[in-house]
Amino acid sequence: MERETGIIKDSISKKKIVFFGIVPFAILSMMIVLILSYPSLFFSGQFIVVPEISIEKVEFEPLKIIATVSNTGHSEVSIVQADVNDRIHSAAMEPDNTLERFESARVIIPFSWNEGQPYGIGLTTDDGTRFEKTIQFATLTPQPTLKQASNFALIGTYVGVIPVMIGLLWYPFIRKLSLNKYNFFLSFTLGLLVFLGMDALLEGNEIVVRDISSAFHGQMLLIMVAILSLVSLIYISSKLMKNARAKSSEPEYPVYTEVSKEDGSNVSSVQSSRQHLIIRPVALSMMIAIGIGLHNFGEGLAIGAAVLLGEVALSSFLILGFTLHNTTEGLAIVAPMARNKKLAIAKLILMGLIAGVPTIIGSWIGGFLYSPLATIIFLGIGAGAIFQVVYSVGSWMYYNNNKVLASLPIVSGFMLGIFIMYITGLLV
Amino acid sequence: MSHPQAIVLVGVIISILTLGVVTVLGSAKDENSTSNTKQFGGHTPGYGTYQTTGSVLDPTSLPTDPKNSVVDPMKFLREFNHGRVSHSADGSTIREFTVIASDQSTREISPGVNYNVWTFNNTVPGPTLRATEGDLIRINFINNGSGFHTMHFHGIHPSEMDGVFEGIAPGGKFTYEFIAEPFGVFPYHCHIQPLEEHITHGLYGTLIIDPKKPRANADEMVMMMNGYDTDFDTENNFYTVNGIPYYYMHHPIKIEEGKLIRIYLVNMLEFDPLNNFHLHANLFNFYKTGTSLVPDEYTDIVTMNQGERGILEFSYKFPGKYMFHAHKTEFAEKGWMGSFLVTEPENAVNASSFTNITTAITNPTNGGLS
Repeated sequence: MERETGIIKDSISKKKIVFFGIVPFAILSMMIVLILSYPSLFFSGQFIVVPEISIEKVEFEPLKIIATVSNTGHSEVSIVQADVNDRIHSAAMEPDNTLERFESARVIIPFSWNEGQPYGIGLTTDDGTRFEKTIQFATLTPQPTLKQASNFALIGTYVGVIPVMIGLLWYPFIRKLSLNKYNFFLSFTLGLLVFLGMDALLEGNEIVVRDISSAFHGQMLLIMVAILSLVSLIYISSKLMKNARAKSSEPEYPVYTEVSKEDGSNVSSVQSSRQHLIIRPVALSMMIAIGIGLHNFGEGLAIGAAVLLGEVALSSFLILGFTLHNTTEGLAIVAPMARNKKLAIAKLILMGLIAGVPTIIGSWIGGFLYSPLATIIFLGIGAGAIFQVVYSVGSWMYYNNNKVLASLPIVSGFMLGIFIMYITGLLV
Repeated sequence: MSHPQAIVLVGVIISILTLGVVTVLGSAKDENSTSNTKQFGGHTPGYGTYQTTGSVLDPTSLPTDPKNSVVDPMKFLREFNHGRVSHSADGSTIREFTVIASDQSTREISPGVNYNVWTFNNTVPGPTLRATEGDLIRINFINNGSGFHTMHFHGIHPSEMDGVFEGIAPGGKFTYEFIAEPFGVFPYHCHIQPLEEHITHGLYGTLIIDPKKPRANADEMVMMMNGYDTDFDTENNFYTVNGIPYYYMHHPIKIEEGKLIRIYLVNMLEFDPLNNFHLHANLFNFYKTGTSLVPDEYTDIVTMNQGERGILEFSYKFPGKYMFHAHKTEFAEKGWMGSFLVTEPENAVNASSFTNITTAITNPTNGGLS
């Protein structure tokens, strides 16, 4: 009986399922048509459209100030007047002064500005609303010349490449450590990474608040990109690990057996964690290097943008601060490799470059083609990448320590890692 | 072996993608290759002119569209409304005016800037009413607006003619009637609260009461100093004399060399505590409030609070172009500036050729802009 009725229902419901799948869409489209055709049914009185524009970038050229403005409101808007420090000036707007939604244009104001002075750039829309952006101090916008590019490359090298390389020099030291000390340094690394990830998000948030109109929901975008980056990197890395292992004839967990041999720790844990252990230390280091590389790319963007926007006078002290801060990143890369028997100098250098060089590329892009939206997207990707590394290192340690992370070396290492980053961060 | 390589590959792919996205986001589509280049700038010494393919935002060179303009400043300058004249039984003069208040229209107050102005007789500033001391002034006031409005005159009159305690409802009418006294310059404005709102939207104008024995013959003009707070932050976005920022900079007021010029100057600027008038390359006799025939001061600058006013008399000794502006430079650089073009009186040919030369020198961009 039951089975028969079930079959009958199934045959009928195929059409019904399609029907019920369509019904909500049909109702929704009817509602849309109704609202758009007869708005007066729903709203009494006039629609008041509030214009909103956002000045995203202000550049200073000889005898000229150039503002990039975009329409972040809900309707077309015309910009009819420009001012500098609230004094009206002649200006040109290219391609033209009418902006569709999300369209952007450049406002060129001939103005004899003075180096190092703050300026407020104002634009007035056709309904008389004035929008302003303040620049802390005016400085000639870096032009993509060879000299400027090599200047950025030098800064990037000091801030990104050299510190990571210095950090890598801890490799021989780390190799000689006992398991407890090794755990301490690995969790120390985790602490550093968690700090870096949060730092990227906070830095992104600063840019959102300063440069990005609320229309883009910048904070949500930042967090969303970070989550997407985290989830997809976890997926990609585990997929690649599985494929690589399937193809290679190597034993599945060579490193782990080494560890257990050296320390004489129990074999049962090897058995129990077999399914979960999929990452080898070298690969783990490489993942950390890539994660830090993505992070440093975002950092490079921010440094380039800071120079472009005249927000930072890059002093030698600031660069020193960055150097100290980033040296810890090198330590993070070598930490997982400590139990490796082979010395892999070439690989270490490669990893150092992967982690450090993106700073240079980032500063070029940030300095020459600053886009706040792109910067927060990359800061989000960088944060996601860092958290993916935290996840990988964390789970690796978890299975290497009999699923117990609450040991003194691990907890104290983690806390010290965050604290050291905070202290060195004060120098920046 | 292949694990790290695979991850490197992922890294490389991600970097390439990121570079791509940055490039796309970074390069705004500003390439618009039309041969339609225009010039802008150039009216400020030392700045030169610039070429653009885009739009020009230039209030100091671009004329405002007269059709939607809040006022025609050149017409307003020398327009005095003497009213419909009749005589009473005792022979005294009756001057009858009609003033209509409205508050619904949005008009252009600066090139491209539209603002909801409240007006007397459709302009900001309102009409300049003029009578002689002792005349009976009768104003048929009609409130065509959506809120209460009144007309409050400075001067001497009975309480019920003061336009303060009895607001005129939308659609309502009222007749203000009083004897013109004393002679002088007087502002009038709406006195409904919030006063600030009614004044800053434009409900004000000038009443001139001439002495019975007329002042000396002169080229007379009225100048109302005002401002507009177009984004309602209780700070003026624009400052003007006679309603449109910069207007007399690109339309100089033509006057004759040696001819007596008389300006009835009134300050109705809201929000800012003071305003002033500075005349270039000359001095003027200043008659505070215009209530005396003896000048109070011989000066080139006069400072006024809201509601203060006076009469300026001067003549130019040399031909040429001369600026006048607020010596509060902020106001000047937000629109309160203008210029006189002084021409030689007899020789019309010389005068006109001189005009052309001066315009060409000071405003080289105008040709390319329209």
